Amino acid sequence: MEFWITRAFRLALTLFVVVTLTFILLRTSYDPVVAMLGPDATAREIEMFRSRWNLDKPLFDQYLAYLGNAIRGDFGNSFRDGRPVFVVIAERFPQTLWLGGVSYVFAIVIGVPAGILAALYRGSIFDRAIMVVSVVGFALPNFFLGILMILLFSLVLQILPSSGASSWAHIIMPAFALGLTLAGILARFTRSAMLEVLSKTYMLAAEAKGIRPVRRAIFHALPNAALSVITIMGLILGNLVAGTVVVETVFAWPGIGRLLVTAISSKDLAVVQALVFVIAAAMVLINLAVDLSYRMLDPRTRRSS
Amino acid sequence: MITRRTLNKSLMSVSALALASAPTALIAQDRPAIRIAVDNLWRTMAPLNGLSTTGNRININFYEALTEVDWFNDPSGATVIPKLALSWKRDGNVWQFKLREGVMFHHGEEMTAEDVAFTLSHERLRADDAYEPRGAIFSSNIVRVEAVDRYTVEIETDSPDPNMAQKLSNHHAKVVPKAHYLEVGVDAFGQMPIGTGPYKVTLFRPGEVMTMDAFEDYWGDQPAAASLEWRIVPEYAGRIAGVVAGDYDFAVNVPFDQQEQVRGYDNINLINTVAPNYVMFAFNTRPDPEDNPLVDVRLRHAMIQSVDMETIVKVLFGDETFFPTIPFNFPDYGDFYDPDMVDPHPYDVEAARALIAETDYDGEELIWHITRGFYDNYETAAEIMIAQWAEVGINVKMVVVDNFSLAYQRPFHLLNMSNGTDFIPGDPYRPLWLDWNPGSTRASADWKVWDPTDKFVELGEKFVKAVEFEERRDAYLALSKEWQDVTPGMYMWKRLFSYVHRTGVDWAPAAGEMRMYGNYLTVS
Repeated sequence: MEFWITRAFRLALTLFVVVTLTFILLRTSYDPVVAMLGPDATAREIEMFRSRWNLDKPLFDQYLAYLGNAIRGDFGNSFRDGRPVFVVIAERFPQTLWLGGVSYVFAIVIGVPAGILAALYRGSIFDRAIMVVSVVGFALPNFFLGILMILLFSLVLQILPSSGASSWAHIIMPAFALGLTLAGILARFTRSAMLEVLSKTYMLAAEAKGIRPVRRAIFHALPNAALSVITIMGLILGNLVAGTVVVETVFAWPGIGRLLVTAISSKDLAVVQALVFVIAAAMVLINLAVDLSYRMLDPRTRRSS
Repeated sequence: MITRRTLNKSLMSVSALALASAPTALIAQDRPAIRIAVDNLWRTMAPLNGLSTTGNRININFYEALTEVDWFNDPSGATVIPKLALSWKRDGNVWQFKLREGVMFHHGEEMTAEDVAFTLSHERLRADDAYEPRGAIFSSNIVRVEAVDRYTVEIETDSPDPNMAQKLSNHHAKVVPKAHYLEVGVDAFGQMPIGTGPYKVTLFRPGEVMTMDAFEDYWGDQPAAASLEWRIVPEYAGRIAGVVAGDYDFAVNVPFDQQEQVRGYDNINLINTVAPNYVMFAFNTRPDPEDNPLVDVRLRHAMIQSVDMETIVKVLFGDETFFPTIPFNFPDYGDFYDPDMVDPHPYDVEAARALIAETDYDGEELIWHITRGFYDNYETAAEIMIAQWAEVGINVKMVVVDNFSLAYQRPFHLLNMSNGTDFIPGDPYRPLWLDWNPGSTRASADWKVWDPTDKFVELGEKFVKAVEFEERRDAYLALSKEWQDVTPGMYMWKRLFSYVHRTGVDWAPAAGEMRMYGNYLTVS
């Protein structure tokens, strides 16, 4: 019970700090109305829009009103198009979920087995090849990889659509661009975790008992390496959102990453604030899920907490 | 009784009827769906709240004004032709417009004089709580708008206005359906706009896509495309790759330094066109900051004369655009334009040095606020200009910021901006008076850059009231001379828009507008 109370308190505190800091930073850094209406707007127009969005009120009053509404789940209306922010985000969220989900599965299916195999065949050409590919995948910026893929598969070979999200073929390039980086990270961490476990004495004992290598790897080494791998899987799941910002822009994928970029460039404060909140909430929940998985996988964690 | 002969006759008649109607059916079926990759779509498509490069580019396909600039036959943009108004006449301060009959809005109601009167009304444009307050600047001299009968509108101005028909080709005169607009409100209207244009909006997701279908009940000829899809592809490389690969038929905004490479693809055409807009910078002529050296007009003139703008523009843009040597003496202005006018402040480094020597300027740093990437090649031009100013001892520092809100924050000495020229086609009213008068943002906002002189205001009022051409031209020349005596800014080049489209499409640009109808678009 104490575990849950502590976690819930931390979660609420983190989100409160995020909402407050985001509000203060965005509202004090520039005048969103001038930035939004552009260079030709008259003083009268600026005043009318400021009043319409309650930006003419004292900052503290604006903050209290915003916080009160946020607690009730109301993040206001988009400055861009006047629609509720919740609707604007909900419209885009499934696309990001779809892209992120495919990339994540791709990363796990490729990255984890590659890391295990690299560890089992440590020092071999196979190990080196996997590590070279994973370093390249990790180091190559996904916007660069994305543009290269567009040039190759859309421009030269003309076998994949260059942008958009209207068919299954549209997801191949963005999911690969996003997933390759994640697979690279996962492969490296899985390899390290496996190598550490493989050097333990209980693995030597298992070998001495005559257990076959595949069985040793899957049933003895992998569960013990899982804690590190799950930690990194949680982290990359959180980083997926940051990754989609770039990939969604390159491939014109209509998800929340693109929405965030558009909202920032068009000074749509209401949407930016809500998106930062959503992303922070996702990160906090993912961390919570990782903590819970520790408790499930490792009895020592349950006992110590 | 049905015999084989009568049956054959009947079948032949039916076949003949089918054949007769076939061309129309085939044309309707064969019209392509056109896809356009754009850099952005504005947040709302309400005619005035959505004023923007990315909104104006496409809304001409679903909105129509009372008159229209004929970019196809006169690429200078000085010719206005009838659109929803068929004829007009002026009697003193009162204009009467006869409207086209049988024009339908996309939601199935007929456009009437009531809709036009509402479109131009005080309630919608000029009231304190106006639906679209950005319309006030376009319609400030209108004192009364009235529907005389179902197809006649009267517009009264505060003084005789010879240019009303030209003015009504602008955004404030894009006719909206009164009842529907009032029922849904301007925000919802901007999300699903309804006009009388050749295309009807079917979907609008700001930040992603807008789709339109050809409007079957359109009063004019059917457009060449069955539908249009405007999809945001933020990356330039993605837009071009999309057209080359056949995913899109059109794309917009090709950076000038990438155009050589784009021309290498043989299945696409690249089009550059100049816009009715001049890129410029303003001098901060006011004593704010207190020690602002630019309050001395001699230093401003020296800065103008020490920059070889003609060469800079040539280097950056080739022959695609030009440096307007004398402000407001723009080729867009038909009879107002004088190609032989003598430049009062030509490029002359020695003259610039002599002027600087007369001032108290001693190398103090002048700050130039520039909005990042807003105008193509602006930062590059600024770097060259700063080097040329350094040659004569003027110390300018470029401060590049992310948006106009930051650019407007004082202190600054120079400020990037641009100046539209198209409010009255063929007339220098907008750049010379509308955008520099005492009520303009440049003279009234927190970031104002100048205080118009008494003489400028007096000459401006005379210019505004001038009705006959000779009187108006003389007033314009006097007003322009006063502006140049003060020199609160420098015009750098006429802004460029660029487009690519696949081969098999014939398309003519209308400056910043992508008109996908009439002579502008044909598809083979």
